Amino acid sequence: MRTVTLHDYKRRMLRVLVHIQQHLDESLQLEELAGLACFSPCHFHRVFKGMVGESVKEYVRRLRLERAASQLKLGSASVVDIALGSGYDSHEAFTRTFKTAFGTAPSQYRLARRVELASTPSGVHFHEPMTVRFRTLRRGGNMKVEIKQLKPMHVAFMRHVGPYAEVGKAWEKFLTVMGKEGYLGGNPMMLGICHDDPEVTPPAKLRYDACLTVGEDFGPRGDIGAQTVAGGAYAVTTHTGPYNQLGRTYAEFLGQWMPRSGRELRNAPCFEVYVNDPHDTDPEELLTDIYAPLQEVAKGARE
Amino acid sequence: MATTEKVDLYKGNKKEYAATPKPAVVEIGPAVYLSISGRGAPGGNAFSDAIGALYGVAFTVKMTRKFAGKRDYAVCKLEALWPNLDWNDTTPDREHWVWQLVIRTPKFVAAKDVSQAIETLMKRGKGAAVQRVELQSLSEGLCVQALHVGPYEDEGKTMATMRAFAERQGLRIAGTHHEIYLSDPRRVAASKLKTILRGPVMKAEG
Repeated sequence: MRTVTLHDYKRRMLRVLVHIQQHLDESLQLEELAGLACFSPCHFHRVFKGMVGESVKEYVRRLRLERAASQLKLGSASVVDIALGSGYDSHEAFTRTFKTAFGTAPSQYRLARRVELASTPSGVHFHEPMTVRFRTLRRGGNMKVEIKQLKPMHVAFMRHVGPYAEVGKAWEKFLTVMGKEGYLGGNPMMLGICHDDPEVTPPAKLRYDACLTVGEDFGPRGDIGAQTVAGGAYAVTTHTGPYNQLGRTYAEFLGQWMPRSGRELRNAPCFEVYVNDPHDTDPEELLTDIYAPLQEVAKGARE
Repeated sequence: MATTEKVDLYKGNKKEYAATPKPAVVEIGPAVYLSISGRGAPGGNAFSDAIGALYGVAFTVKMTRKFAGKRDYAVCKLEALWPNLDWNDTTPDREHWVWQLVIRTPKFVAAKDVSQAIETLMKRGKGAAVQRVELQSLSEGLCVQALHVGPYEDEGKTMATMRAFAERQGLRIAGTHHEIYLSDPRRVAASKLKTILRGPVMKAEG
């Protein structure tokens, strides 16, 4: 048994990128892509975003468009056929997206002499040999991270289903009920668990649990449930700034720091701990600890 | 509308909480606090328990009122009074320090709100310290106030500046030393901790 290296991460992610390139016509489900390279499906979207610099959805969409562009240039298929073949329902939708990406409509693109492709974070393009610039040397590679060993935590929670920007409302309601019942005594921790990838799940269906640590005897009541947050090893980093920028820190943490850490993610959700109070803190000074669950290092692995 | 807006006592009494490293004279109006007193080194067990109890009561009172549809307000930051901290640096050993931890609270919070919150917390087994939390009014009046930036241990320097400033104004710091903790010591580097220091004054004799 040896620890996982940065090279392993790159090799595995490359396998995913090659698969995407070769199966652009398929639906390319996140779970399937994660499985190809033994990445935990819980975290794959963040690892991908961090390492590649685009979300899976953005990446696939761009490659499909680039393929369409080369079909326009080199083939004789009609724009409508190319649009349908690229996963668009209509000529209009395809033209609109194409124009945003290439600055010109498909029909004009076909006639133009030469069009430069916009640069991409990973350097990967559809019709060029694949050389990938993984982003693991970026900022995230040097972030301050602590490894903590946690005991399982019992939490009371209220589930919010809807845009992440609205979880504040769930918190208000949840804390009011819990506070009235005396559960805010004894400095409980406030945790948030995001269950879905905002790139895949529509905003109205995103599931988020607002959690408060409670004693083991806490039972569910009304719209407040009880669950246990798994114990074990966690990598912990602190995000400083507004909550709507957490996604970037997650991607840097899981996609840039993690591949260089020698550790592997465990298939359990990340959670975040809110350290200060958004009511009396400047958004730039908000602190959020992000906990990423790790697989245990096998005994003797370090020798 | 003003009546339904959330009450923020720090914003509403801006002048009382505006402090710079340069000392200034401020008039502090009468105010109500949730309060708990004790003895022991700051950061020690008794001190930490008291902070937990005070915040527990503060949030339970707030949320119980909010749940009942009563007027909402922001829970203010932690403050402390140090009755035996001498402005002339003859302070006893830390283990014997006496403190009164307080959180400023709107006047519309009643003693009954507090006793009810204590009862709720006791039912949850949140420690006996909550029973010592009570409402208290303070009327500090004319004070010299300054912002101290840095570790708590270095407050002596800022206090000396305040004392000298008071003298130049023909005043003498005579009341209980009062601190308002603007930063969280668990999260902010000691060199960047911001604390408002306040000392009630009286006219110097002769």
